[in-house]
Order: sequence, then structure tokens, then C-alpha cells
Amino acid sequence: MTVFKAYLKVLNKNKALVILYTAILICFAGFNMKTNDIGSFRVEKPKVLIVNQDENYGITASLIQYITKNSTIVKIKENDSSQNDALFYRDVSYIIYLPKNFRNDFLSGKSPKIEVKSTGDYNASLASMMLERYLKVASTYLKIEKNEVSMIKMIDETLDHQVDIEMTSKLDSDHLMKVANFYNFANYSLLAGCVFVICFVIASFKDEKIQQRTMVSSLNMKKYNQQLLFANGLFAFTLWILYVLLSFLLVGNSMFDFHGLLFMMNSFVFMVVALTFALLIGSVVRNKEAIGGIVNVVALGSSFLCGAFVPMEWLPDFVLKIAHVLPSYYYISNNNFISKLEPFGSLNPMIFNIVVLLLFGVIFIIITNIVSKRK
Amino acid sequence: MFLHNFKCALKTLFKNKVLLFWTFAFPIILGTLFHMAFRDIENNEILDMIDIAIVENEEWKKNQILNQVFDELEGDLFSITYGSEEKAKSLLADQKISGYLILSDTLKVVVKENGIDQTVLKYVTEEILETEEIMKHIALENPMEEESFYQNLYFMIGRIQSENKVELVDISNQNLSYTMIEFYTLIAMTCLYGGMLGLYVINQNLANQSHNGKRIAISPTPKGKVIFSSALAGYIVQLVGIALLFLYTIFVLHVDYGNDILKVVFLTLIGCFAGLSMGIMIATLFKTSENTKTGIIVAVTMLCCFLSGMMGVTMKYIIDKNIPFLNLINPASMITDGFYALYYYDTFDRYYFDLVSLLLFSGLMILLSIRSLRRQKYDSI
Amino acid sequence: MKKIIEVKNLTKEYKGLKAVNDLSFEVYSGEILGLLGPNGSGKSTTINCLLSLLKFQTGSIQIFGMNMSPTAYEIKKQIGVVFQEVAVFQELTVVQNIDYFCGLYVRDEKIRSKYVEEAIQLVGLDDFKKFYPKQLSGGLLRRLNIACGIAHKPKLIFLDEPTVAVDPQSRNHILDGIKQLRKEGATIIYTTHYMEEVEILCDRVIILDKGKIIASGTIEELKQLAKIEEKVSVEIEQLGAEKLEEMKGFKNVDDVKYVDGILVITYQKGKNNLIHFIDYLKKENLQYNKIYSERPTLNDVFLELTGKELRD
Repeated sequence: MTVFKAYLKVLNKNKALVILYTAILICFAGFNMKTNDIGSFRVEKPKVLIVNQDENYGITASLIQYITKNSTIVKIKENDSSQNDALFYRDVSYIIYLPKNFRNDFLSGKSPKIEVKSTGDYNASLASMMLERYLKVASTYLKIEKNEVSMIKMIDETLDHQVDIEMTSKLDSDHLMKVANFYNFANYSLLAGCVFVICFVIASFKDEKIQQRTMVSSLNMKKYNQQLLFANGLFAFTLWILYVLLSFLLVGNSMFDFHGLLFMMNSFVFMVVALTFALLIGSVVRNKEAIGGIVNVVALGSSFLCGAFVPMEWLPDFVLKIAHVLPSYYYISNNNFISKLEPFGSLNPMIFNIVVLLLFGVIFIIITNIVSKRK
Repeated sequence: MFLHNFKCALKTLFKNKVLLFWTFAFPIILGTLFHMAFRDIENNEILDMIDIAIVENEEWKKNQILNQVFDELEGDLFSITYGSEEKAKSLLADQKISGYLILSDTLKVVVKENGIDQTVLKYVTEEILETEEIMKHIALENPMEEESFYQNLYFMIGRIQSENKVELVDISNQNLSYTMIEFYTLIAMTCLYGGMLGLYVINQNLANQSHNGKRIAISPTPKGKVIFSSALAGYIVQLVGIALLFLYTIFVLHVDYGNDILKVVFLTLIGCFAGLSMGIMIATLFKTSENTKTGIIVAVTMLCCFLSGMMGVTMKYIIDKNIPFLNLINPASMITDGFYALYYYDTFDRYYFDLVSLLLFSGLMILLSIRSLRRQKYDSI
Repeated sequence: MKKIIEVKNLTKEYKGLKAVNDLSFEVYSGEILGLLGPNGSGKSTTINCLLSLLKFQTGSIQIFGMNMSPTAYEIKKQIGVVFQEVAVFQELTVVQNIDYFCGLYVRDEKIRSKYVEEAIQLVGLDDFKKFYPKQLSGGLLRRLNIACGIAHKPKLIFLDEPTVAVDPQSRNHILDGIKQLRKEGATIIYTTHYMEEVEILCDRVIILDKGKIIASGTIEELKQLAKIEEKVSVEIEQLGAEKLEEMKGFKNVDDVKYVDGILVITYQKGKNNLIHFIDYLKKENLQYNKIYSERPTLNDVFLELTGKELRD
């Protein structure tokens, strides 16, 4: 147990790093964890700001009321730069500037211009559709009804029509998506945590002089390697347990069901792959100063390319093709798959990915053996 | 003497692989990753063609209005598959379509989950129903019964609506790509990582920080000269690194820095200086090992970049909006915001404000370290 | 003889501890002065005070007849220091390192390259000119450290434990180099806790303990301070207690010890002590293996003065 004890002591020296990565994970996960209702269709509400220079009366008031009802009105300071900032950072998707005398001009058949600012994304398109819809209906009724009050009444009646919508999925897809995001982020923290700590400790043990000292000692080298492997495995396992516990803490109930179990299984397999990968890197890299760089490139690289930070469906095709050579791709694919899995759905795609992950693990072990034999 | 030390400092910096990795290679690698991950995000946010299905039953075939309306929308907003209800269901289950329409007594929309496509589908369908509603209002005033009349009326209303008198004028700025912020924070990170260079060269010069520093202290060379030439060497190396990053981001990653290249260069020069001075401050004020100090620089830089939007652009906005005070002490956000101002704003008030803040920050850092830089004798070494 | 350094009443206190306590001494031109003392006795602190690296509370320091201060560049030009710790750039080669530090003193590049070459010869690093510090072994690194400190041909050289943890070959190179420097006219202050080095190298020695001078003078003068004159050690397998008592009564004997089969007798003064002792062994028919006699060392002097060993 000497080796194991020494391992723990070296680890204790690096506890700040483990805590740091965990803290980042909690922060990130915390940002994404807000749960929603389940089961009924919800309309997406674009974020809109209305800057009204007209009196809030009559047709103007009706327009504002309609937009307000169907969108999320954002409160933003009344100055140009705040509004521009809000638009840039997508705090608001669509800004509507109702001009002075809008009501009078509209009613009297003049053509008032409405200025808008738009982010150009689909939320903005939706808001634009909404505004145009109101204006279309209003201008149609303007042709047949001159009384403003009854016209507004007609508009309201018309716009009040709702289509019958049926939603087939009973999954809380938003919520599951967030759990998936949490586990996707673990691609970074598990990988970075495992590789950094394990490489660092291995580098300490494989330090030329320490290595020599160990070789001349009476310790059986096979046992020595076994103890080291056991200690590394235990560390990786602890890291995994920690993250799983964290997921229980953050998302609670939904970890106890079928989906939660699959998420845990998947991340466990990934942890094993991360461990084998860390052992490989550890057997190649001896320089402690280089480890930090390698870890960041490997962990950040695979996280960016495989969709741990940015959803996979938003990545360019060529990036996803590159990602196929990385184990993270299969791990993250599985998380996404699980988040969309209906009860009693087929598990075949997931099993396939897990087999691929395990193959990666085997390949890493083989390479590690070849590399360390050569030395 | 100045030149002698300057040359030596340059040589040592350019030979330090770890320093060069963090200040030269890492930003370029990270930039490449950003580029690969983010290049399609904004395109994905634009409304694409929506895949839907329509159940082609007897009721649907009879309804001329709906048939014609969706024929017009086909290829424009929707890509439509016609077929049986079973087919529509299986398409929906496989996520090949966002939803399908089925007409029995009323028109019904069936979707799998919530989403923007589904909402658009709902809106369009409602718009068609509305037109029917309008027709009812008109029909109340002109009672007629013939089927063909309704059809004609429907399309007449459509014409009136398309001649809609109210004009929407889009006055938004075209430079709206928020992923640019990621690259601006990358520049900010590189500027601050330059602090490592400052840290390294200054540590070599201080008797209480390194053994080499003791040698310099006992030599007949004025300390100010040595420190100044070392810092200058650090600055030059930093500028080389950031110039490479700029070339890479502009010509390979096509990052848009706005049109005023001179102001961009100026901001970068000051930004690098801020990073360097922060490094010098950490080098002089903390008395721990060099590794720990480098750790402090990395941690401070990452925190600053996090707060200025590197791990999520929204963070910068949240800070800007709610805790603007933080921006006054965060050099990364001053640099990021300066680039943002050049890219997005037509006026330069905000840019100059950021520039002055950076200068003040650098001045403060130098002021904090000056006492320790000037010190000649120590209580203990 | 010309005074090169004059220290008067130097006291340095740090965190309530008097690291240097009311020290006064002089260093004369052309001599090698040894500062001898155990770890923590204040040797390095004294040197750092002399070099104006450390603040001190009271006292005055004059070097070359001028007051020493951080900006006394005229003095600094003529000083060379080799610190205990290796102070070189990891990123520069052997030649580049020496050239850099020499360049802090000597501007002329021609002269400098000549000086650098001579320094390399002096410490014997000829074969390693293009090596980087991390490619050098501990002893070679020490030699580089020395070359960096003395390349500019200073008149006054401080050597702070230059031979700690150095292999014998490198140590000889270093000691030869120091002798060579003295031959060239340099005054040298040499701190160490190896008394053997002091005995072969130094003209004069100052022994420090707890920041105070406890003795100073030439090596012979110091040895006079020791009460003992001769130490005789014998390997004897068996010896009774009564025999030991008997030996204590011998003429001139200061002390008798018998530990682990080795008998040590120390004599205060007198001649022919060893012969008397061997006669006694024969007479008593005691079986013995090796026998040897030693003169007292500086360690014995130190032991005498402080009651503890120099190396602990």
C-alpha cells in the first residue's frame, strides 16, 4: 500500500485544481438549470421591445396589447446605446418604434412608417410575423369599418382565434436537454480532471531519479504498476461519483428514473475511456510543465469539436466529421440520444456508441503498452 | 548596457517554450476551436425552411382554399410532404418533420415537442383561419352563399393585405454578429497572458525574487535601466505574439474588427501594456514561487475573460447591464468592450472610455509595483 | 597591508532574531579570508549586508575606502560574487550566460569575449560551451555559477559556499581556480562549513556562531586555542573498565573514550605521548588493529569554543 499512500499524498498537493474544475462545472450547470412545465404545448415568445412615441390610445394601444400578449416584453433603459447593446447580445430580438401620430395617420389612411430593429434570427422573424399579422388584419378592417372602437373589437375577435394543437411527446424535452447539457459538460471536466491529475501524478512517480530508486527497491514491479493503476482508477471513479452526485443535487428527481440511469451508465463508460486516455498521455509525457498545455488542448479541443459546449446540431458538418475520430463524439451523441429517448424506445444506437467508446479504451491501452515497452 | 540586457531578455523569452505556448500557440489554438464551433451558430438561428406534412384525406382534398394557400407556401416557408396519417405520424416520430396538419371538422396541428418551428407553423395556420374570420365579418355585411364567392373573397382579402399601408423599415446595424465577442475576449486573454512575460523578465531582475536578480543587484548597472529594458523586451515579444494572432484571426478565421484599423492597433497596444503591467504587479507584490505567480495570472485572466464573455457572450451583457462597476476593474472587459465599440458603434465615445480605463488600470498597476521595483535593499532575501 | 574592507559594529535583526550581532572585522588586500561557521551562523547574511542587498540596523561598511550603498557603482564594478545558489538562465548556453553577466560590468565586446574565454578556462568548462544549464551535472553547474560571478576580473571576490554538494573532481577544479584568482591579485572572502577547505585555502579565518565572531586569526593561531594537542585512536576488541580508568591517570591525558571498539585518547600537551601509549599496550598485552594519531582540526577548535560540532 506504500505506492497507494504516496499517490494520495501527491494528489492532496493538487487538490486546488480538482476543486477548481468542479467549481467551474457547478457554475456552468447552475446557469442552465431551470425547469419548465411538462406536457402541454407552449408558444415560443420572442423578446420584443416597443418604443411608443404615439399616445397609448385606440388602435395604438390595441397593437401594443396584442404584441405584449404574444411576446415577452423586455425592460430596457430608454437610451439608444442600451437598446443597441440589448439587440447585439440578443436580450431583445426585435425593437418596434411606433412613430408619433401613428394612430391618426393609420386611421386617416396615410401610410405611417414603423421603424424596427431586428437581430435577423428566428425570434426576430417570429416577432416580425406577429407585427405584420396585426397590421394586415387591421388594414383589412379599416376598409370595411370606420368606427375605431368596433374595428378594434373586430380585430381582437379575429386575432383571438387559436388553432387546435396536439403534442405527441410526453417527455420534458427541455428539462432532459438540460441534464444532457450537464453531462455533455462533464466531457470537459472529467477529461481535463482525469488527464491533468493522473498525468501529473504519473510524472511524479516516473521522474527519472524516483523511477530508478523504485526499480532498485525490493518492490515487485508488477505489483507496483498494479497499485498505481488501482490508485488512478480509484481517482477517476471518485471524480465520476462526485459529478454524478452533483447531478443528483442539481436536477434531483429526474436522475432517479430510466433516463438518469442511462446518463450515469454512459458517463461511467466515458470515465473508463478518459482513464485509459490519461494513462496513455501519462506514459508519453514526462514533463510536468507541458501537461497543462496538453490537457487544455485535448479537453477544450474535444469539447468544442464534439458539441459539449455548442449543441451538436449547430456545428458545421466538416467539424462533426472530424469529431468522429474522438471518443467524446460518441459520448456526447449518447447524451443527446438519451435526452430524446421515449420510454421503451430502442436502445440500439446507444449500445453501438458504447461499444465504440470501449473500443477506444482498448486501443488506448494497447498503445500505452507498446509505448511503455519501447522505453 | 540597455541593449545588452534587452538582447538577453529577448533571447531568454524566445527560448522559453512554456511561455511561448501560452502566449503564442494557445490563443491560436483556442481561436481555431472557437471558429470551428461557432461559425454556423448564427446561421442556424435564421429561420430555415420548415419540414411539415399534411394528411391528405377527403376533407383536405375538398378544401380549395387550404390547398391553394399551402401550395403557395410550399418552397417558400414550408417543405411539405403529403400522405396518410400513419405516414405523417411516423415522420414526426423520426423527427423528419416539425409537425403535421390534419383537417377534420377543424384544422388541427400535431407536433412532437415545443420549438420555434412549431410556433411558426401555429402562427401561419392561425393566419389562414383569421382570414376566414374576416370573411365572416364581410359576409355578414354582404350575404352571399356561393362557394366560388368565398374563394374569390379570400384571395381579394389577401391582395388588400399585401397592399398593406404600414411600411416596416429595418434600421438595425448590420454588424450584429455576437460571436465576434468570443474572438475579442480571445485578444483580451492574449493581452493579459502577456503578463506572464512581464512576470518572468521582472522576476529575473529582482534580488528578492530570483538568484539571477541578486547578481544584477550587485552589478554596477543601474537597476532602472535593467528593469526598463527587460520590460520592453517582454512587451516586444507580446506584440509579436498578438500580431500573429491578429493575422491569423483576420486572414484565416475572418474575424471582423470593424473598419478603423488604426484604432484597433492602438487599442491592442494599450491592451498589451495593461497585461504586461498586471504581470509586473503580480511579480513584485507577491512573494511566492514563480509557478504560483503564473498560476495567479492564469486564474485572474480566466476570471476576467469569463466576466467579459469568453464562456458565454451573455455574461458580458449581464455585467454591462447590472454590475457595470466590475467593468471598471476588469481589463479584459475593457479590451473586449473597446473592440465591440469599434465593431458595432458608429461613435467613438465608448471606445475612448475603454481606452482611458485601460490606461488608468495600467498606471495603477505600475504605481503599485513601483515601490518594490525601486527598492534596493531588503529585510530578507 | 592595505585594508580592502572595514566593517564596524554591524548588526542585522530580522523578525526579532539577531542574525548578525555587532560584527567588526577587516579584510586585507591579497588575502583569502575564510568565514567559517555552521549552517545559520550568519555567514550569508553578513555577505548580503556587505553587498548592500540587505538592510541592517547599525554599523558601517567601507569597501575600498568608500561607503558601500546600492548605487555605489564604482565599488560594485570591482566586486564579484558567487552565490550559494546557482543563478543562471536556463534558456541560455554556458557561453551566453557568462557573457550576459559579464556584460553587466564590461561593455566592450572584444574585452568581454576574451574575459568569457578566460573564465571558461579557469573553471574548466571548455567542453561544455554550447551546453544548456539543465544538461550540466551538479558540479559543472557550480563551475558555471562561479564563472558567471568572476568573469569580469573583479578585485574583490565573495564566494558563498561554492562547493556545497560538489563532486571531488569539480571541487578540485574550483579550489584550483580560486588559488589562481588569488595569484592574479584578487582578494577573496570565502564562506564555508567545510573546515578542510579552509585549512588548505585560507590565510586567515573568522569563525562565526549565532551571528557573532567567536574567534579569528591564522589557522595556526586558531589551533592554539584548542586545549588538545594530539588525538590518538586505536581499534581494540576488548577493554575492561578498570583499564580505562588506568589510562585516564596517564601524563598529559585530557580524556579517554571507548565506544564501539574504538579507543580515543586526547592529550593536552607534551611529546612522545604515542610512544608511551604503545608501550603500555604491549606491556598489558592488549590486542589492537589500527592505531593513528591526529593533530587537532578547526572542528575541535569550534567544539572547544561552542560545545557543538561544526557540521550538524
